[in-house]
Amino acid sequence: MKNRLRELRDKRAWSQGDLAEQLEVSRQTVNAIETGKYDPSLPLAFRIARLFRMTIESIFEPGRDLNR
Amino acid sequence: MPRTRRTDPRHRVMLLMCVFVGLMFFLWPHARTTTSMPLKTVLVLLPIVPMGTALWLIAMDIVRSDELQQRVHLIAMSIASGITAAATFIAGFLCAAGVLVLGGDDLMFVLPLISVSYAASNLVVGRRYGSAGC
Repeated sequence: MKNRLRELRDKRAWSQGDLAEQLEVSRQTVNAIETGKYDPSLPLAFRIARLFRMTIESIFEPGRDLNR
Repeated sequence: MPRTRRTDPRHRVMLLMCVFVGLMFFLWPHARTTTSMPLKTVLVLLPIVPMGTALWLIAMDIVRSDELQQRVHLIAMSIASGITAAATFIAGFLCAAGVLVLGGDDLMFVLPLISVSYAASNLVVGRRYGSAGC
């Protein structure tokens, strides 16, 4: 699953640590989401969307799995 | 509920494991020589206290960790359980066939085996997600 997390974080000049702190997860988790190695759970996706005041689908883009 | 790692209990776990090893070295000679069965049982089981506390701290750390860390722990524990189950199964078969002679004290190797395979699995799985393990 693709996402715009890095882009949105860069716009706000936040470090991965800053974002991790606000989401109450580890910096490794933020890094894994940004690099596409890990897809967040629905509650975490909602927390991310709420933090950036956006909808989930405007941050996360389904990959090939959903287009099958 | 959002979860994240707030404290690193590794130093406390290491300290408790040192206490465990120290107690083993100190108590084991006495446990082998003492004739009183209740005292022997107490001496043998006393090192379980720091080990059990260490396991409790590890469990609490996993509960407090976030969803990715919990996933890494779960995968690592599954791999470690599989390795340990396979190793003990093979050893059991070899023992039943008379190829290998095993005693009851060989059961003491189960915990170190699962710990080592868990640590290795945690490192490998953690790297897969871009970290050095949890």
